[in-house]
Amino acid sequence: MLYKISVPQVADVEEIRILEWHRQVGEPVERGDLVVELETHKAIVEVRAGQKAYVRKILAEAGNWQGIGLPLAVLSDGENESLPEDAQALIDLPVDFEIT
Amino acid sequence: MSSEPASAMRKMFFREAIARAVREEMRDNPAVLILGQDVGRFGGSYREFDGLFEEFGAERVRDMPVAEAAMIGMGVGAAAAGLRPLVSITYMDFMMLGFDPLINYGAKLRYKTGGQMTAPVVVKTTAGAKGQGVAHSQCIEAWLMSVPGLKVVAPATPADAYGLMKTALRSNGPVVYVDHKRLFPVAGEVPLDQVAIPFGSARICRPGTDLTITAHSFMVRIALEAASLLAKEGLSAEVINLRSLAPLDINTIASSVKRTGRLLTLEEGQITTGVGAEVITRVMEKLGPVDFTRVGPLPAPVSSNPILEAACLPDAERVAVAGRLLLNAKKLVGSH
Repeated sequence: MLYKISVPQVADVEEIRILEWHRQVGEPVERGDLVVELETHKAIVEVRAGQKAYVRKILAEAGNWQGIGLPLAVLSDGENESLPEDAQALIDLPVDFEIT
Repeated sequence: MSSEPASAMRKMFFREAIARAVREEMRDNPAVLILGQDVGRFGGSYREFDGLFEEFGAERVRDMPVAEAAMIGMGVGAAAAGLRPLVSITYMDFMMLGFDPLINYGAKLRYKTGGQMTAPVVVKTTAGAKGQGVAHSQCIEAWLMSVPGLKVVAPATPADAYGLMKTALRSNGPVVYVDHKRLFPVAGEVPLDQVAIPFGSARICRPGTDLTITAHSFMVRIALEAASLLAKEGLSAEVINLRSLAPLDINTIASSVKRTGRLLTLEEGQITTGVGAEVITRVMEKLGPVDFTRVGPLPAPVSSNPILEAACLPDAERVAVAGRLLLNAKKLVGSH
């Protein structure tokens, strides 16, 4: 099964800047692991995995911008599942996010 | 119309564009300093001074108590004595407390001293409604446009925020720099070169042929949304971002209205003796009678109740309705 992680809905925000990836392509994430930190105009958004998966493709590197609801990364249950052309069509991996 | 030279761009948040301009000017000129609430370690109410306290220290980035009259008074005095203070007033509503030093002393100093003294102070403040009620929502920039000796600018984009702040901090008279609460979440491209935007230069941010819409600050975004709504009906609105209210770039506005034949002014502040009233008068002084309409909030205070706040403020749909009426009025007159 393939998933995407998208920019979460944050009040007032249209787009965010990717601050730092805490997992790289090929690495597994466990539930609760910090995957990526995002930066809004006034806060940092920590995005944590809601289930186990492998990070397969990063779509927006640190320093780049992405709009709310748009995909940041592709993940999969298995280590070697073949990747789709269009990440937007994938279902969202459950995530917890915290705004600090 | 603006003709800023082409330059490589970098996307940044609105607050980062302000911080960058202030940082560069503080590095270039040791007379520039910041006075305000929460401007120090906290980095500004909107983080628009992030990193400046760390770089320039408490002497040049000074936290002040909640005393707007004193802050603006000290700013004007320090400017008269040779410094270039940027006074940060978090809510434009509370600038009222500092009108005496700003208007009676700062704006008139050059005149009173026969040009021997100037007060190069920038009062940076944040206007606009965003859920904070009657005394934290107002846009009173039109009050200030009529003060001889005072310059008033209002950025709508991060690029404006950067370029206008550069000019403000180099200016020799008092400048009121008005940003907006709803602009802080916005990101946009800003030139990497140190390009200042001269005062008195409006920018056509969407070309069109059927009517001209003027706006400043956050309302430029509403004007652009309204122009998109009108475009779906085949109506072509030109949108002008005023950027500078005093001085006003009347040539850019009038030459646009000369082409389109119709003028819609949009503002978040009251339309009675508002920015639009001035724009329309000045355009007619140049062109003679033109079809016009002005759009603004209801003549009421802005509530902190979100439903009442939205009811009070102009939105894209309301602007589009006014634009349609203006165009239809012209058609009806033409058909008789």
